[in-house]
Amino acid sequence: MSSPDVASVLRLALPSARRFLPGLVAGVASAACAVALLAASAWLITRAAEQPPILFLSMAVVGVRAFALGRSALRYLERLSSHDAAFRQLAELRVGVLSRLIPLAPAGLGSIGRGDLLTRLVKDVDDLQDLPLRVVQPLVSSGILVMGSVVGVWLIFPAAGATLAVCLLAAGAVGMVSAAAISARSERELAPLRGALTNEVLEITENLGVLVAFGALDDRLATLDEIDGRLRRATIRRSLGFGVQAGVTSLFAGAATVAALAFGTPALGTPGGLHGPAFAVIVLIPLAVFEVFGMVAPALGAWRMVCSSAERVATAVPTDIPAEIPIERHDDRVRADADADAAADGVGVGLEPALELSDLSVRWPGVSLPAVAGVSLRLAAGDRVHLAGPSGAGKSTLANALVRFVEYSGSYRLGGVEARELPQSEVRRVVGLCEQRPWLFDDSIRQNLLFARDTATDAELLAMLDRVGLAEWADARGGLDARVGERGALVSGGQAQRIALARALLAEFPVLVVDEPTANVDADRGDALVRDILAAAGPERAVLLISHTPVPEELITKRLTLAAPAPAP
Amino acid sequence: MRPLDPRLLRYASAARRFLVAGSLISLLQAVVTVAFAWFLSQSIAGAIDGRPLPQIAAMIAWLALVTILRAGLVWSQEVVATRGAAAVKSQLRGQVMRAVAERGPDWLATRKDAAVATVVTTGLDALDNYFARYIPQLLLTVIATPVLVAVMLWHDLPSGITVIVALPLIPVFMVLIGWATQAVQRRQWESMQRLGAGFLDLVGGLGTLKIFGREHRQSTRMRAVTEDYRQRTMAVLRVSFLSGFVLELAASLSVALVAVSIGLRLVDGQLLLATGLFVLLLAPEAFLPIRNVGTQFHAAADGVAAAEEVFEILDAPVTPDALEAPSAADARAVRGLRGALQLENVSVQRGTDLVLDGFDAVFRPGELSVLSGPSGVGKSSLVAALQGFLPFDGRLSLGGEPVSAADRREWLAWAGQQPGLFGGTVADNVVLGERSVDSAVLARALDWAGAASLDPEIRLDVNGSGLSGGQAQRVAAARAIYRSQVRDCGVVVFDEPSSALDEHSELALIDGLQRLADQGRVVIVVSHRPAMLVRADHVVRLGRILRSEEDNRVVA
Repeated sequence: MSSPDVASVLRLALPSARRFLPGLVAGVASAACAVALLAASAWLITRAAEQPPILFLSMAVVGVRAFALGRSALRYLERLSSHDAAFRQLAELRVGVLSRLIPLAPAGLGSIGRGDLLTRLVKDVDDLQDLPLRVVQPLVSSGILVMGSVVGVWLIFPAAGATLAVCLLAAGAVGMVSAAAISARSERELAPLRGALTNEVLEITENLGVLVAFGALDDRLATLDEIDGRLRRATIRRSLGFGVQAGVTSLFAGAATVAALAFGTPALGTPGGLHGPAFAVIVLIPLAVFEVFGMVAPALGAWRMVCSSAERVATAVPTDIPAEIPIERHDDRVRADADADAAADGVGVGLEPALELSDLSVRWPGVSLPAVAGVSLRLAAGDRVHLAGPSGAGKSTLANALVRFVEYSGSYRLGGVEARELPQSEVRRVVGLCEQRPWLFDDSIRQNLLFARDTATDAELLAMLDRVGLAEWADARGGLDARVGERGALVSGGQAQRIALARALLAEFPVLVVDEPTANVDADRGDALVRDILAAAGPERAVLLISHTPVPEELITKRLTLAAPAPAP
Repeated sequence: MRPLDPRLLRYASAARRFLVAGSLISLLQAVVTVAFAWFLSQSIAGAIDGRPLPQIAAMIAWLALVTILRAGLVWSQEVVATRGAAAVKSQLRGQVMRAVAERGPDWLATRKDAAVATVVTTGLDALDNYFARYIPQLLLTVIATPVLVAVMLWHDLPSGITVIVALPLIPVFMVLIGWATQAVQRRQWESMQRLGAGFLDLVGGLGTLKIFGREHRQSTRMRAVTEDYRQRTMAVLRVSFLSGFVLELAASLSVALVAVSIGLRLVDGQLLLATGLFVLLLAPEAFLPIRNVGTQFHAAADGVAAAEEVFEILDAPVTPDALEAPSAADARAVRGLRGALQLENVSVQRGTDLVLDGFDAVFRPGELSVLSGPSGVGKSSLVAALQGFLPFDGRLSLGGEPVSAADRREWLAWAGQQPGLFGGTVADNVVLGERSVDSAVLARALDWAGAASLDPEIRLDVNGSGLSGGQAQRVAAARAIYRSQVRDCGVVVFDEPSSALDEHSELALIDGLQRLADQGRVVIVVSHRPAMLVRADHVVRLGRILRSEEDNRVVA
């Protein structure tokens, strides 16, 4: 993974200076008030002890109160404006990542495009918000303030300024070194144990029935205890390092105070030296400065998290598109947008055969052997072809190539035109795909259908639901407004397939590829589903049905069987 | 939210030890804080009084010593917290896994809350911050703050009273703001969550959107969704940040009040400079822990939520039907027992639903019996009941001998709908639960399962990944066959063993099942596949659906 990629991801997360500045100014001012509050209080008390006329104290009294108010009010402003800036940037960040994802999805994303890894990627993108909020803001504002304080103390009494600077540098250096060492060791010692523990827990919980039935549960629980014990002992062994940073910060805060006392005392009352109130200020200021300095350690911790998020995002969404993913040329996009509504007038419709493959081979990105090779097939309106073959034979790969998610070699013609020569959007206007795991958006049934044809009326949508055998089901749930849940959680596997089919039929693809519609359906409902799909597709459409389980002979016009893949060398 | 769940102390003895150690450290921290302020104020006042360095050198030396002690305590607080969190997590994890084992696979499958695996791994990690950041501050608030306030009262009554008045204002205002904002927040929360999740929904569905030519319109949509998200979130934050504001305001204003009042009394000569400085240094320290408790609220909430999920599992009732291991005597009695498996008047209950009511059947040895029927008719529940995962009423006998809950693992070999494979070699998976490996039987088992071509030494990843669905299914079948051979089980049950198989492999498996029956065993296959029904000697159809499950089925 290249670092320019990471840098470009990080840049996406940073708001512009104009948006960032108000929060930063408020942050610096709030921290300055915290230091000034202590300094003014110290000055006020020591000056008061000299019993001057009370008039001389009034400025300090006002200052103490103002700094107390300013500190909390400015902090409130800082948090509001920095969060606002980060949220505004989130839109840029998401759109930026999205525009990189579009040409890659779904085939170029590999396993990242699914399940937990996808959740992880999306969370990583959202976590990049921490860069302005929890890294840059605290580092810059505490940096400015700490340097300002050192200069201020220096101006009052150079020796105290110097010792304060030395103590800050020492605390920073020791803290950083110890934190880096701890996180490196944690990575090395704890991460593998954590991984092993997670795997063990997963295996036990997911296969509990098997372990009970085969009397192997006690052994596995003992293994789990053993791994758990090793993780616990390793954590405890390492715990000594954990408090080092906090301890060191506390130690050097005290050291700076002690040093200021030791160097300041001899200078008290000497000509050109210190007078009482100034002496109190330089002795006490280190305490407040180190409190502000305390923001640095968590910010560095957040920086490590942000960096690993950015690395994962950059790896998942590379800027260079692999050769196996077809690239959509820019002029194609313009054309596609221009005639977006002229859907059915595309290439190939009405010509015979609608789709023709000869000696087609497809290779996945990063894999040297083709997943499927030497496929030839002719598909015309009304055809029902069953693409059979064991799992791993490349059936879904072929489906991905047909909708141009992956590049092919050999020939793939649509209505006589080589598909590679057509804009991707036009290919996809002719060839539609019902995916193996259809994605349902967390919205109503209506919205999940409408994006296939946004001019459809409710009556048309209901008629389509009836055609795919979902009329009663939708009715029982309160019609088109019923929600399908997050990732279609409220819908069974079979119903999801039927909704996906309704979507594909609404879009009126002349050629429809249906990938393993029964994969997530109860075994005894599969046949009925296949029957319904083929009936609903109608006579004007060509259907390529991909299924590794048998399909009744009378439903299909042709069968094409892909051989099992050659064993890996 | 309760600040500290008493169940944590009940279930995790390590938490009790941590609290004792943490309290002790908090007390010492209070003492050290007072000493630091004392020596510092004495040194400053001494120097300003004109005493030369040698005279206050002893005081400065004490201050240095206290500084070192203070740093040591800060360090040990974190060490103790890390150790406490690690020990508590380990204890809770062990208890949850044992509780899950005790309650059995059916309980696990019907649980609706977060996956147990997530709860005991990443879920429990929320306790790290709970122990490291929140509990120490809570202890300091309870232990150190009263000590500091008492010292202030003793040395300067007016300042002590100021702090005593201001301190309770913090929780009071926080609760008031919390009340005022609760309604707003709750209303906003759900829509915020949905808007936040919109990006995931969009990215996940990108392939689908491309199929329908809708991908290029999504940037505008995403911008609109995120902008909406920002506006709603900011509306909530404007109010939530108020509690932080009040917290800081109360603390810093009190310090200012103390400082000004000390200053004015110093001018009048009512107070010594050393006392004034001492009280001024203590005032912010009195507020610091409670401020930290407020800012660590999220760490606390996450930790409490994680612990609550654990307690829910631990407090869940145990189904009385035991999953205990067979006793040696029972095992000898039923091992090698042959004959017909007879079910009389068997009723199975799953939760509150009666899934099988008064079912009678006889499965004869030497026959391939197929159990068939539509979904939701109770086929899998019957299999679960045979294994003891679900309680049932009725009589169960094998070859005329009654067989019971405790010994069924000796007469029954089983392969489930999910292959249920583990990391390790194919051979490891097939011989699961056996101490020794008989390689001839292993080869036979793979052969009969239609997986003769599969190398037993192939290594699988976690959960058996690395095999195709069909291969995994055949390894699971081989595992049941292996057990039936080495333990001489009278009954072998296969639940949908060929749902992922192509026709050729399915026929090979059926041949193997036939040979298993030819050995004089009862072979029961739950299946609807035509090939299986054609070769069956005996078909049992479960027809009467007591309750349709389709309507409210949830598929993840």
